[in-house]
Amino acid sequence: MRALSLRLRGIGIPGLLMLLVVLLCAALVVYPVVFIVAESLNVGEPGVFPPEAISLANYAGMRRDLDVLVNTLLVAFGATVMAVVIGFVLAWILTRTNIPGHGRLERLMELPYYMTPLVGAMAWAVLAAPKNGLLNQLWHVLGGGGDLFNIYAPLGIAWVMALFEGTVAFVMISAAMKSMDPSLEESSRVFGAGKLRTALRITLPLVAPGVLSATVFVFAEMLGAFAAAFVLGIPGRYYVVTTAIWESTQSFPPEYGRAAALGLSLFVAMVVTLTISKLIMRRGAYATITGKAFRPRPVDVGRARWLLVAVAWFYILVAVILPLAALLLTSFQKFATVDLSESIFTIANYVTALSTGTLGPAFLNSLILGLSVASIGVPVIGILTWIVYRSDLPGRGLVEYVLMFPQAVPRVVFGLGLLWAWINIPIPIYGTLWLLGIAYFTVFLPLGLRTMAGVVLQVDRSLEECARVCGASWLRQMRTISLPLLRPGLAAAWLLIFIASVRELGASIFLMGPRSKVVSPAIINAWLTSSSELSAAMAVILTATVFAAVVVLFGVARRFTGTQQA
Amino acid sequence: MTPRIEVNDLVIRYGEVVAVSGVSFAIQPGELVTLLGPSGCGKTSTLRAIAGLEDPSSGTIRLGGETVFSSAERRNVPTEKRHLSMVFQSYAIWPHMTVAENVAYGLTLRKLPRAEVEQTVRRVLDMVRMDGYADRSASKLSGGQQQRVAVARAIAFSPTVLLFDEPLSNLDAKLRTEMRVEIRELQRQLDVTSVYVTHDQEEALAISDRIIVMDHGRIEQIGTPETIYNRPGSLFVADFVGAANLIPGRLAADGVFEATGGVRLAVAEGGKQDGTTVALRSSYVELRPESAAVPDRMNVAAGMIHRRMFHGDFIQYVVDWPPGQLIVRRPPTEMIDEGASVRIVCAPEHCVLL
Repeated sequence: MRALSLRLRGIGIPGLLMLLVVLLCAALVVYPVVFIVAESLNVGEPGVFPPEAISLANYAGMRRDLDVLVNTLLVAFGATVMAVVIGFVLAWILTRTNIPGHGRLERLMELPYYMTPLVGAMAWAVLAAPKNGLLNQLWHVLGGGGDLFNIYAPLGIAWVMALFEGTVAFVMISAAMKSMDPSLEESSRVFGAGKLRTALRITLPLVAPGVLSATVFVFAEMLGAFAAAFVLGIPGRYYVVTTAIWESTQSFPPEYGRAAALGLSLFVAMVVTLTISKLIMRRGAYATITGKAFRPRPVDVGRARWLLVAVAWFYILVAVILPLAALLLTSFQKFATVDLSESIFTIANYVTALSTGTLGPAFLNSLILGLSVASIGVPVIGILTWIVYRSDLPGRGLVEYVLMFPQAVPRVVFGLGLLWAWINIPIPIYGTLWLLGIAYFTVFLPLGLRTMAGVVLQVDRSLEECARVCGASWLRQMRTISLPLLRPGLAAAWLLIFIASVRELGASIFLMGPRSKVVSPAIINAWLTSSSELSAAMAVILTATVFAAVVVLFGVARRFTGTQQA
Repeated sequence: MTPRIEVNDLVIRYGEVVAVSGVSFAIQPGELVTLLGPSGCGKTSTLRAIAGLEDPSSGTIRLGGETVFSSAERRNVPTEKRHLSMVFQSYAIWPHMTVAENVAYGLTLRKLPRAEVEQTVRRVLDMVRMDGYADRSASKLSGGQQQRVAVARAIAFSPTVLLFDEPLSNLDAKLRTEMRVEIRELQRQLDVTSVYVTHDQEEALAISDRIIVMDHGRIEQIGTPETIYNRPGSLFVADFVGAANLIPGRLAADGVFEATGGVRLAVAEGGKQDGTTVALRSSYVELRPESAAVPDRMNVAAGMIHRRMFHGDFIQYVVDWPPGQLIVRRPPTEMIDEGASVRIVCAPEHCVLL
């Protein structure tokens, strides 16, 4: 007790701040989930809280959705396998071989992430839809019969998900490969093992836990993936859990019970999968694989390196160049065709996209949301990050858990929970940008925390302690030492949250109202209801915005890294 | 005279682990006292508690008679109000400031007039021989330069207490010995009370007025470098500070120790009467030819050179003798061949019964 009071006095301002903000965040995060649970048990009037009648009927009803569950597992499994194979091959090429120009290639590998699954899926629909997909048209022009590709088939959906939702596999696997002490391999070579034997006996077992953990993690992501399954699955009425949730809220009367039961099951499945992934990582992390940054010795691949470069570029081609080219080509045409002699070029699609009531206001709203969520989120999450990773306050582990919680909740499910939660609160923010802002802030807590943690951990604790010893108060230390050192990281976090907000789809699709349209759901609506040429133009606009933000991001990062690294 | 720093019954716990368990000492004004011990002995925790960077579980800390921490009085003065200064192991040079801004930080906080700040910054940078670097970005300094800036920043606002947390451990060997001399020189010049944490016994011996040897969160011995070296108070101190032979056996008669193997050694007065080990510094053993005459009061035993290792500043011999093997350091002028029989000679006052 005495120790506690002493400590509390030492912490003072940050401690109180934390208590306040954490209670708020806990409410933001946990409250919507309560509504999902309640609705999943509700067998009375849908959407009435508290439910008039309660039973497990909604869960029993999931028997009828067996096909949806099978579809989900099938697509998620296929997408995971493809994503991990792609991620592993690329990670190996880029971190462990002596291919030329891998610095630039490594940076290019980030592009598919910024493409967003929504844009990627629309682009691939334009490219490989049966009959009029550009690649299929090309195939017909070349004299081929039938369709070469069908992107609406389960395999097509999985392919697009692997390309645009699975980029995390590359990031996680290359981290595992980079963090390995090269002397472990070198000693194997010294003891007389050849390249292949060393790879099989030393390298592979050492990176295996990292790869396995990444695989399970990606699988969880795929279970909750929405955009690709929506864009490519709806035309052929091929539903997975996330799209089935959306569909059940659109029917009349809305099947909220079904949506909630499916959503909660998906949430539980994701929590279990993510926990397994974490356990594998912790169990398998040999003491030899440390957090230290090694520069692994690249394997000399001889002349095969040109083949490997080609493989890397092929990935960029299918994940970035082809989709963007297809979208650009389509968006400037009246009717999408690969036969350029027949095509009628026009900028009408862009004019329509920006001027009509569809995208223009949505675009403005998304920008407003992106700016404000990033500007409020960064200081708030920044302070939270500092408290979680810097203070020695009891219970900061719990705080971290609360803040990371939204990661395990599929956006679609979270959006639904927020919808019910705020409809049932006598604060009239449903249908306004406020609700979307709150939703974005909540779902991007993990993103902000993770980004800023990296920065906070880089700033050596003694830099702050030294300021105190010199006579600075906590506030003064924050102002003169901590914040200036954190600034580049904070700028990066700001832009990441901005980008994530501008392109958010899963939660927005439930929360936007007629007066609070935002970009991604607006594009989805256009995709469902109007021409692919118009929606292509919209997708190009969204992509251009995101890429512009990325360019600014790297510009800012470069300006700071020169002078600020300790 | 009131001690400048007084630590009483200090206990520091991290959850279940007790890092410091009941440490007490007093440091007089102008003294440089070293906390010496292996990693995990509690020396850094003790230093950080004095700085107010660590919350002790119990005990009291007084600076110049003023209580800055007391568990009984529930008093814990925050770091910034303790008016002390510190040189960190990582130097903690703020990379977003210039050298001058780093040094001026503590001065500006004390609201000194600008001209005085500038003058002081110039003066202390001059003292650490970093004049001419004032406008350099702090992130572009070498390790040794960062070290000097850290010292300059620490002394700039004329603190009455200066804390050093292993300040030289990240420097290479040559720079380390140089900086050692400079820090001692500055400390004497400024007459500032200093607490210096290190795990390097050579550094501690060279730099200190007094040394506090710590192990497992407790103080093993407090004394001048000479006392610590010549009269280690415990097996741990004998083993950790300097190179010592620990010879097992038992006290056979008053002042006579019988080592295993039957060698009898007269031991120094005031040793531990129930001790079972004699500590003998390897530098205090002489090796004479078999036929050499030796004064009566000296301990003598027969031995044979097992191995000779030339270290430059000294030669280290491994000598076989009845209790086992004896490590002996002799000046590089005393070359004896491996396999030669010798007389091992040492004075009783250097055989410390522990």
